[in-house]
Amino acid sequence: MTDEPNSPNGPDAQATAAEKGGPGKARTSILVLDDEAIVCKRLKPFFQKAGYEAEAYSNPAEALARVQQRRFDVVITDLKMEGLDGLAFLGKVKALYPDTDVIVITGFATLETSRESFRKGVFDFVAKPFKLAEILDVVRRVEKERGLTRE
Amino acid sequence: MELPSLTDFFARWRAKPPVPFSVLFKKFKSILERNNAILGLIGDMGDKLGGDYIFDRQYILESCERLGDQVFKLVSDLSLLCQRKNVGLFTAFERISYQIREELAGRRVLSRTDHLLPLCDLTHDLVDEGGNKMANVGDIRNILGFTVPEGFVITAGAYFDAMERAGLRKRASEVCAKFESGDLSGLAEAAGQMQKDILAMPLPKGLAKAVKQAARRLTSEGGQLLAVRSSAWGEDGESSFAGMYESVLGVSPDQILTAYREVLASLFCEQALRYRAQRGLVLEEPAMAVGVMRMVDATVSGGLYTYVPLVEHDQPMVVSAAWGLGKPIVEGTAETDTFFIGREPPHALLSSEIGVKATRLVLGAAGGTRTEDVPATAADSPCLSGDQLTLLAKTAMSLERFFKRPLDVEWAFTPQGELVILQARPLSIKPKTCTPGLDVAEATKDVPVIISGKGVPAMGGVSSGPVHIVGEGADLSDFPYGAILVTHHSSPRFARIMPKCRGIITEMGSATGHMATIARELRVPTLVGVSDAAKILHEGQEITLDADHIVVYEGVVEALCRYELGKEDVFEESWEYRTLKRVLKHISPLTLLDPDADSFSPEKCETFHDIARYVHQRAVDKLISLSEEHQEIKESAPHKLVTKLPLGLTVIDVEGGLASGASNEIREEDVRCRPLRALLEGMNASGMWETCAVAVDMGSFMSSVTRTMTASQSHPTNLGRNLAVISEEYLNLHLRLGYHFTVVDAYLGESVNDNAVLFRFMGGVTDFTRRSRRAGLIAAILEQYDFVVKINGDMVTGRAKKHPEEAMLDKMFMLGGLIGYTRQLDARLGSDDAGRHHFEEFVQRINALRALREATT
Repeated sequence: MTDEPNSPNGPDAQATAAEKGGPGKARTSILVLDDEAIVCKRLKPFFQKAGYEAEAYSNPAEALARVQQRRFDVVITDLKMEGLDGLAFLGKVKALYPDTDVIVITGFATLETSRESFRKGVFDFVAKPFKLAEILDVVRRVEKERGLTRE
Repeated sequence: MELPSLTDFFARWRAKPPVPFSVLFKKFKSILERNNAILGLIGDMGDKLGGDYIFDRQYILESCERLGDQVFKLVSDLSLLCQRKNVGLFTAFERISYQIREELAGRRVLSRTDHLLPLCDLTHDLVDEGGNKMANVGDIRNILGFTVPEGFVITAGAYFDAMERAGLRKRASEVCAKFESGDLSGLAEAAGQMQKDILAMPLPKGLAKAVKQAARRLTSEGGQLLAVRSSAWGEDGESSFAGMYESVLGVSPDQILTAYREVLASLFCEQALRYRAQRGLVLEEPAMAVGVMRMVDATVSGGLYTYVPLVEHDQPMVVSAAWGLGKPIVEGTAETDTFFIGREPPHALLSSEIGVKATRLVLGAAGGTRTEDVPATAADSPCLSGDQLTLLAKTAMSLERFFKRPLDVEWAFTPQGELVILQARPLSIKPKTCTPGLDVAEATKDVPVIISGKGVPAMGGVSSGPVHIVGEGADLSDFPYGAILVTHHSSPRFARIMPKCRGIITEMGSATGHMATIARELRVPTLVGVSDAAKILHEGQEITLDADHIVVYEGVVEALCRYELGKEDVFEESWEYRTLKRVLKHISPLTLLDPDADSFSPEKCETFHDIARYVHQRAVDKLISLSEEHQEIKESAPHKLVTKLPLGLTVIDVEGGLASGASNEIREEDVRCRPLRALLEGMNASGMWETCAVAVDMGSFMSSVTRTMTASQSHPTNLGRNLAVISEEYLNLHLRLGYHFTVVDAYLGESVNDNAVLFRFMGGVTDFTRRSRRAGLIAAILEQYDFVVKINGDMVTGRAKKHPEEAMLDKMFMLGGLIGYTRQLDARLGSDDAGRHHFEEFVQRINALRALREATT
C-alpha cells in the first residue's frame, strides 16, 4: 500500500523503544494535528484507549514546536489549515525524522494535492470524514511495516 | 376480460405530444437517480451521528451545500419534465434552505411557537426550546422514567419574543458579539445596563397572562410555591456556566413574572459575559429558557455526586442529606449527613458521617417556607435508610450512564417516600485514574477479550453488565434492568427496553437502521453485525462492551468505564454533533406520507426529504401519463402482465425491468425487475390466494375491481388499472385488490445504503373495529420482519431500509404473501383473538416458505 520511498525496516523498533526510555514499554507514539478541534478531541482519547501514546494539537505552530522537541512514530495531519499548510508541516516532520510515518487526513481530498503529498513520503491518505476503525487500520499498518507491533 | 378504462386509455394514446418522449424520459431517469443520490446523502449525514465517524465543521457545511444543490436541481428537473414552473416547490426549497443556513449560523430555528412547554413534552429533542437544564430534567422524566417535580418551561422562543418586542434582542447579540471578538472594554457597564433593561422590560401580554395562569394552576391556585430555574442554551451542557445564572426558589404565583425577569436578566451578568468571551461562543446568540417547577414537600433532601476522586474509598459516590427542604443544603448553610457508597451494585455503604441536624426548612401551611427545630431523636440519627441509599445510588447511576459523565444530582424524598429528582448537572470533576490516559490501555491489557473487531458500532461508548439473550419473537416484558441485550436481529421493537439496557449487541442489522437511531437517541452503546454473538456470549455472563473499539471484554473493566466518564468532551455535546443533528431536522424526516392526501403538496414540504419524495411521486405520475400519451416509444409502452394471479397488472418498464423484446403481453418469466420478481414469487408460493376462507372466484373478484375502478376513475394516477413502474432494481406498484389499496415502492440497487422498501396498506369497506384490527395485524406482521411501522387511522405504512439485497428480496417475498393473505381478511377478523391467530398463522406459513426459498436459491 505504501509509497514510502525510504522505509528501512527493523532497527527502528529498538530505536523507538530506546528513545522513549521505557524498557518493555514500546508504546507507539502518535501526534495528531488538525485545526478542527473536534478531530483532536475525538482522536486523542480514541488512540489513548487503544493503547497508544497520543498527543493532539489544533494549532500548527504548537505542533511544530512539539515535534522539534521530540520524535513521534506516527504523525497524523490535516492538509489544509489556517496558518500553516499541512504539506509544509509534513515536510518539516520528514526532514527532522525521516523514519516518522505521516498519515494525511483531509476533507479537501483532491488528486493533485494527494499526489504531491505522496511525493513527500506520506504513508497513507485518509479522506475526511472517516471511520475510527479506518484510521486505526492505517496506524496498525505503519506498526506492522515498522515492526512496532506490541506482543 | 377487458378493463373498461382501457378504452379511454387507447383513445388518449393517439394524442401527439409537443416534446419528444426521449427527452422527457431522460429527465425522468435523472430524477430517479438524483432522488437516490439525495436519499444517499441524507443517509450518509445521518450515519455520522453514530459516533463511528470523525467529521468536522467543514463536512457539515459541505454536505449541506451539496445536498441543497442536488435538491435544487431535482426541483428544476421536475419543472422540465412537467413543463411547469413549480413556484410552490421552489418556495419550499428556499424556505428549508433558509432554515438550514440559520442553523449553521447558530441562529437556531425553533420548531415550536407555543411559548409554554409542559415538562411531559420535553426531551433533548426540544433542547432549543427548553434550554439544557430543563431538557435534562425532561429526559430524566420522559426517557428514563424517573419522577421529577411537576412543571413547565417558558421557552427560549418566549425570551426572543419578549426581547424583540422590547427592542433588546439586537442589542443583546451586539453586546455578546463585541466581547466575544475579544474587546472586553466596558463589559461591566454593558452587563449592568442589559440587566437593568431586562428587569424593567414589559412582557408581551399574551405571554404574561399564560405564565401567570400556568403558575396558578401548578400551585393548585396559589397554595404551593415554585422554583424558577434558569435553563440557558449551553448551561449544564457543552459549556457549563455553572452557578452563573439565577434560580429563584420559593416563588408564589403572583411573583412569577418578577422571578422570570430576574432569571432572564442573569443571562447578561458580568460573569456569564466574561465566560462567554473566554470560551468564544461566537457561533450562537445567547438565549434563556426558564423552568417553573413545583417545590417538592420533602422529608429529606440533598445532593449526590456520582463520582468523588477519593482513593481511600476506591472513588465512590457521595450523598449529602438533611431533613426538610434542600435549599440550606445546596447553599451549604446546614449541617448534613454524608454517605459514601460504592458505584457498582450492590452499592455498598462504605462509610458515613452523621451530623447533628438541629433545624430544617419546611413548607409553611399558608405558603412560604419556615425553619423549624428537628426533634432531638431525629437530629442526630441518619436521615436516609439503607434502602433509600440504594435507590438513590441506582437512580444516579442510570442518570450517569445516560448523560455519560459524572453528575451532581439534586434529589428529595417526599413524605410518601417517593424519590424525586430535582435536577442533574455534569460534575466538572474528572475521574483521577484516567489521566494521563495511558493507564487505561494498561488496565485492559490483561483482561480476556471475548470478541474483537467483529461488527459495526451503531452507537459508541462503553458499558458493562450481564448478558441477556433475546430470541426472535421473545417476550420483552421481563428484560432485566441493567443487562446487555444480545440478539440475532436488530429490530425497532427493542426500542421499549432500551431505557433499561446498558448495551446492545446484535448478530445482524445495520448501523443506519431504525434501531440504531433509537440507540443513539438513548445513548446506548450498540454493536451490530457481530456474527455468532449469541453463541459466543452466554446468558448472565458479565461483560464490558467497548463499542468505539469494537471489543467485548470478559467481566467488568472498571478502569475502562471510568475512562469513558473522564473524557473531556462528550461527543453528543460537541458543536459539530449538535449542529449536524439540528440541520438534519430540516433535512431528514419524511412528513409527506400519503401521495393521495391533500397535504401532499409543495406547501407542506418541511424537509429536503419531503421535497425529494414529492418530486419522485410527481415524476412517477408524470411518466405514467406520458407513456400513455406517447405511442411512438415502444419500450416504455405499457405491457400487460399475463399471470394466474388476479392482479390485472399493467407494467411500465423504465429501464431493464423486462427481458428485451418483450411484447405488449408479458409473462412472469419476462420480468427482470428483481423486487417485482420476488414479490410475484411470494404471491405464487404462498398459495394464499386460493386458501381464503371467504372464497372469491375470479369473476366476482374482477367485478369488485371494476366497481372500485369506477369509483376511482377521477384519480389521475390510477386510471382503473393496477400499475407497476419498474426498472431492473426499482419497483413502484400501485395495487387495488378488492377494497384494499396497496402501494409498494422498492429500490434494490448496488449500494446497500440505497436499498429501501416501502409498503402501504389502506382502505377496505368494513366497520371501524375490524379496520383497526386489520391495521394492527398488518403492522405486527411488518414489525416482525423489521419494518418500521406507522399506523395512521386504517393506513399502515411500513419501511425497511438499508438491508442487504438478499434480506430485501426476502422481505419482498414476504410482502407478496402478505398482499395475498390480507386480501379478504376483514371478513375473518371477528375478534381480537382472531387477529392474534392470524398473525401466528401467517408468520408460521410464510417462514416455512421463506426457509424453502432460501434452501432453493
